[in-house]
Amino acid sequence: MTAEARGDVGPVWHEAFTLPLVFLSTALLGGLRIDAGGGLAFVRPPLFALVLAVMLIAALYRSGAFDPARLFHPRRTGLGKASGAVIVVALAAAAAQMMAALTPDEGLFALAFDLVWLVLFGNTLAARPNRGRLLSSLLVMFGAAFVVKFILLGALYAPDASVTKRVVMALVEGVSLGTLAYQPPGPATGYVTFATGLLFLAGVAALPRGPEPGAGDGLVRVVPGEVVAVPDPRLD
Amino acid sequence: MADALPASDRIWRSPSVIRMAGLAVAAAYAVFIVWVYVAQPRTLREVRGGVAASIGVYRIDAASFDEGLRYFRTDRFAEARRAFARADPAQRDARTQYYIAYAFLREGWGRVYADDALYRQAEVALQRAQAATSDGVVRVADPDLTLKTSDEMAEALARGLRGDASDLNPLSMLEKRP
Repeated sequence: MTAEARGDVGPVWHEAFTLPLVFLSTALLGGLRIDAGGGLAFVRPPLFALVLAVMLIAALYRSGAFDPARLFHPRRTGLGKASGAVIVVALAAAAAQMMAALTPDEGLFALAFDLVWLVLFGNTLAARPNRGRLLSSLLVMFGAAFVVKFILLGALYAPDASVTKRVVMALVEGVSLGTLAYQPPGPATGYVTFATGLLFLAGVAALPRGPEPGAGDGLVRVVPGEVVAVPDPRLD
Repeated sequence: MADALPASDRIWRSPSVIRMAGLAVAAAYAVFIVWVYVAQPRTLREVRGGVAASIGVYRIDAASFDEGLRYFRTDRFAEARRAFARADPAQRDARTQYYIAYAFLREGWGRVYADDALYRQAEVALQRAQAATSDGVVRVADPDLTLKTSDEMAEALARGLRGDASDLNPLSMLEKRP
């Protein structure tokens, strides 16, 4: 008997409303750019962000943070599976926009960021961390990308000489930016991206995982990344 | 226990109802997101106006529109455009956008030349006006206007922007102002 069948509707609300709205909000805000004059622009994710999103979702799956088998379990109703499909689609859109938001929009810095993301996700997939470690790792990766894009590069290329810019220039004394072009995002974009990143990570941490409470457990994950079938007499 | 709850509360304890409501809300939100990325509103006012227009509750500021019309009829085109922009901040009203396009057209029209920059701005405003209608055609029944439909204005703008032998025709100086 599933939680749904017992009348425990908390997880149902979570799947039907909380997760789709969190991920769709991430997809909406991840592409938002606000210029210095307050003008809005909604930027679609570049193709490479889609590739990175697939790698991110693969890493979430292998760590057990994202469990599609739970969302599409045969015991779930059609509506339940539709809810699961909405979560998967929203997660994919959110992941793509999140990667785009944390990567410079164009130029050599965009290429450098993309290469670093590729190596980091490849390394994460090879290391097969468990859920907790992956979430910690994502927090560090996203935090580092945010600091480099919005604080360091933003300060270096800011039109005015802020304190941060003077500090960074002092630290990299002797290094010239030459003709390395970069258009820093407006300051408000940084605040929006920061909030969006936290929202995305909270959504990922809140993804349903493991067997549905009270459901017949045909599969039990015993080691991160390893799936072992356990016979369940109730399913016979 | 559940039977003791009011009927409205019992409905919201039904997993099927919750899931259907969730799907409806998520679908509406997804449609909004797609619209935002396609329409590319530049300000929050445009976002609000776009949403209001999509559900049929968008209204222009009639006082500002009338003010714009007064400026327009006295050939104060820049002031007219400001008033029209105030009347239709979301740029969703076909008639107001048509008048903005007309203000650019009349300001850019000269007896022996056409100001290309103003004509191009007129074209942009005309495209907004057409986009705000269901059939892509704007019709304005104003006796003060020579061009009463978006098709006529589009052709007038295209003629003005075209550079050909007809530009050298001295009879074009006798043409009436649009």
